[in-house]
Parts: sequence; C-alpha cells; structure tokens
Amino acid sequence: MRVQFVLQEIWIGLRRNLTMTIALIVTVAIAMALFGTGVLLKMQVDKSNNYWSDKVEVSIYLCNKLSANPNCKKTEPNQSEKDAIRKQLESMPQVAKVVPETAQEAYQRAKEQFKDSPGIAGSIQPGDIPDSFRVKLKDPKNFAAVVAQMSNREGVDQVVNERAILDKFFKILSGLQWAALIIAAIQLIAAVLLVANTIRLSAFNRRRETGIMRLVGASNVYIQLPFVLEGAIAGLVGGVFAAILLSFSKVFLLGRLQKNLQLATPLGWLDVTTVIVASMCFGILLCALASFLTLRRYLKI
Amino acid sequence: MIHFDNVTKVYSHQSRPALQGVNVAVEKGEFVFLVGPSGSGKSTFLRLILKEERPTQGGIHVAGKDLSRLSNWKVPHLRRRIGCVFQDFRLLPNKNVYENVAFALEVIGKPRRFIRKVVPEVIDLVGLEGKAHRMPDELSGGEQQRVAIARAFVNRPMILLADEPTGNIDPATSIGIMKVLDRINRTGTTVVMATHDAAIVDAFRKRVVELEDGRVVRDQSRGVYGQAYGGV
Ligand SMILES: Nc1ncnc2c1ncn2[C@@H]1O[C@H](COP(=O)(O)OP(=O)(O)OP(=O)(O)O)[C@@H](O)[C@H]1O
Ligand SMILES: [Mg+2]
Repeated sequence: MRVQFVLQEIWIGLRRNLTMTIALIVTVAIAMALFGTGVLLKMQVDKSNNYWSDKVEVSIYLCNKLSANPNCKKTEPNQSEKDAIRKQLESMPQVAKVVPETAQEAYQRAKEQFKDSPGIAGSIQPGDIPDSFRVKLKDPKNFAAVVAQMSNREGVDQVVNERAILDKFFKILSGLQWAALIIAAIQLIAAVLLVANTIRLSAFNRRRETGIMRLVGASNVYIQLPFVLEGAIAGLVGGVFAAILLSFSKVFLLGRLQKNLQLATPLGWLDVTTVIVASMCFGILLCALASFLTLRRYLKI
Repeated sequence: MIHFDNVTKVYSHQSRPALQGVNVAVEKGEFVFLVGPSGSGKSTFLRLILKEERPTQGGIHVAGKDLSRLSNWKVPHLRRRIGCVFQDFRLLPNKNVYENVAFALEVIGKPRRFIRKVVPEVIDLVGLEGKAHRMPDELSGGEQQRVAIARAFVNRPMILLADEPTGNIDPATSIGIMKVLDRINRTGTTVVMATHDAAIVDAFRKRVVELEDGRVVRDQSRGVYGQAYGGV
C-alpha cells in the first residue's frame, strides 16, 4: 500500500469538489454538535435527576401573622397544634422523615443562601418564612396523598412540593434535549445524503483514473480507499468543528444552566470530552460508511 | 494461454448474441489478429478475457485459470497479468508520460525503487526516449498510443490485448505502433489485437481469427485481412 499515493488521490478528490466538501463539513459539524449537545443535556438531566431524587422534599409551611391564605386567619398555630400536624405527618405510610424548621432557622438559611446577592439578603426579615416541616418521602413520586391531606388542613399555610417544581424544570431540559436530538437526526440525514452526493461526484470526476486502475488490476481496496477516506476526512474535519461548538455549548449553555439554576451536579470536562470523542467517531464512521455504500452503486468494480 | 470453449455471450436486454459458440485457443507467445465487421463481437471477445463480462454459456480459461471459478476479489490479480490498449489511448491528461506509466505500478502497490527502475526502461522500449516529461497533449496520436502500450506492458504481462490500437492513427505511424507490439510479442508476450486495418494485417502475416455475427468464420495462420472487405 503506497500511503503517499493514496493521500495524494484524496487531496485531489477533496480539492476537485471543494464546495461540496465545505457543505459536507459544515453539515457534519452542525449535526455532530447538535447530537453532542443532546447527549450532554441528557447526561445533565440524568445526573441531576439522580442527585435530586434523594433530596427532594415536601415542605409544609405553617400559618403565621403574615399568611395570605384566608384559612390561616392571620394567626399562628400554638405548640400543641403544631405537634398534632407533625404526628399526623409521621403517621403517614409514605413519609420517611419529618424535620421541623423554625422561622429563625429558615431566616438564617435564606440569608446564607443569598449571601452573594446582598439586595435579596437584606430584604429578608425574620418571620417572612414561617415555621415549616420538611417532609422526606420514602418514594418521591408518592407525594400526592401527603399534599392532599396537608393542603387544606387547619394551621397549614402552603404545601410546596419540590418534586413538582423540579419536574417542570426537567421537562424543559428534556424538551431541549429532544429538540437538539431531532434536529441532529435531520442534519445527520442531510449529512449522509451530502456524503453520497459528494462521493458520487468524486467518483464521476475520477472515472478515468478508476477505469485505468481497474484495468491494470488495482485491488478494490486500493480503488475505494481514497473515496472512503475522503468521506472520513470530511467527517473528521466536521468533527473538529463540532468539538469546538460542543465546548462552547458546555461553557455557555450548560455552564449557564448550572449557575442560574443551581444544579448541584455540573458535568465535568471529562464527560464533555467523552461525548466529543464519541460523536466524532460516530461522524467519521457514518461518513466513511456512506461513501463506501455509495461507491458500491457508482463505481463498478 | 487463452482458451474459449464453445462460448456464447448474450448481453442483457439483447436478443441477438454478441458471440455464439466460439472455440478459439491461443497459445503462449502467439500473435493473433481478430478481424471482422463492426458489431461482430471483437471487443466482446477481449472483454471476456478480462472478465469484464461473463459468458452466457461456455468456458474460458486464461493463463491456466478457469474464469468461471475465479472469485471476484481475485479478478484484479488476473488483470495484472494482462495488458490492455485501446483505440482512444485512455491516458490521464494531468499526468506526464512517466507518471502515466508509473500510475499502473503505483496502483498495484509496487515499491517506488522498482518503479523508478522499470518505467524508464519501458519508455525507451516503446521508442519515447527523451519524452518522459511531456504531457499527453504535447504528443502526437502515435506517441500517445506508445505511452498507452508502455503502461500496458510495464508490469510485464503474459498477455497483451489491443482493441483497434491503430484506429485513430495514420497508416505510416501505425506501422511504428505495430513494430512496438511485435517487439513486445518477441519477448514472449501473447498478443491479441482486434483491428479493421487491412494493410497492417496483410503486411504482418500473423494468425487471423475472423468473426462475423459473433461466430468464428475463419482461423488461419499467416492469414490476410480477407477478401470480403477489400483486402488482398
Ligand atoms: N455493453 C453492451 N450491452 C449491450 N450490447 C452490447 C454491449 N457491448 C456490445 N454490445 C453488442 O454486442 C455486439 C458486439 O459488439 P462488439 O463491441 O463486441 O463488436 P466489435 O466487433 O468490437 O465492433 P467494432 O468493430 O465496431 O468495435 C454488438 O451488436 C453490440 O451492439
Ligand atoms: Mg470494438
């Protein structure tokens, strides 16, 4: 196998239909980048989901003087009423653990949480957040009974189900993820068609050469290799661009998501690199395979 | 070297056979002219030898190999032992003489040292000394055909097939081309040449196989082109 000869043939092939090659590279790059973004989002969702599912709680806020809920009548339940609520919670089969949090503790925690935003931290007053029970469920999915029993109970202001909030958020994320994957799939189809077309043109442009190669007894591998590598190289270059785009989407899209939404589980560069390498390999293989299959139709051996 | 055993070839979507019950045996070192009117099946005969086409019926042996038993991936190896020349030269216009000849060796993976040694020898053999760096469009038709012959012969094939090699060349130049083919034949290479060129067939007096409507109508050693088409 003469490496230099094969490389030279590839170079000629790529240069002869430069516009097609560029279109191909761009398409592959976009397809791979979207595909990778979809996978990254999915990884992020799964990871966050796992992380959150053992932490989500149902919070039961009790009435106090500031409660807007008319059932509260602006009065705080006394200690025995609070204990009754706690007992009732603890007796429910879905409940794993009940942790009380006093208004003072809640105030401290909120100040801590917003210490980077002095505006918010300063506007919080003790008593803004009432006494509450943080209820840990045995299975976070079985929140309905707890929410139903607690919602209109005397002395209870609000029942906040974190699970429902998270679910809404994850729904948006997985919507994004599916959008990325669907566009990626369409782009991939476009990429395959473009590869087929590029290689067909290339085979047509070089029919003299391949005709002579056939005649003098060049092996099929030797005849096809430059074309298949041509597709693979376009895939590789597209993959490099995709890697750059993916790095951007890690920094800007995921990075921003993590910052703004306080996802406790950032995806590391290792995950991103894995996705990049995987989508690159996938792209190269896809292009090479598309070239190979096209050749079988257009290059009589 | 080449054995056709009752070969019939019918192209797909065609009712009339291109070859019909052809029995021909060409031995090693022979020079054979294949003559006959247009459409009589000469090119088909040559394509069957290369296994570019398969016979509809009958058996073909080339260089001791039964082509019907030769698997597809071995066909390139068969073709390395057969050189081919055509009426239209089929040179690569963007490569010079040397590169055109070297191409045939490069694509079968011959080492560069070997290529550098044999290509100039063959260029000299076909009478193109000093023109190795000319491009095809800087050569006359006769010279281009010499390049094609050099390319066909550079791997020292056992068989050289020529399909109307003098078809695009004037008579005087044709004689020169024939001398090259004769020289190659003298090295022991079997040559089969399809031609319409009566003067050449008559001048060289080699074996003549005549086809008509896909049948062999004459097989004559030291033959002439034939009365029917205005030969001797
Ligand atoms: N690829 C093909 N498909 C269908 N029919 C073909 C094909 N090639 C040749 N034929 C037919 O087979 C017959 C023999 O053709 P062939 O080319 O062998 O003749 P030939 O003797 O070489 O003619 P010429 O002297 O004009 O080159 C013709 O009738 C031709 O139309
Ligand atoms: Mg012909």
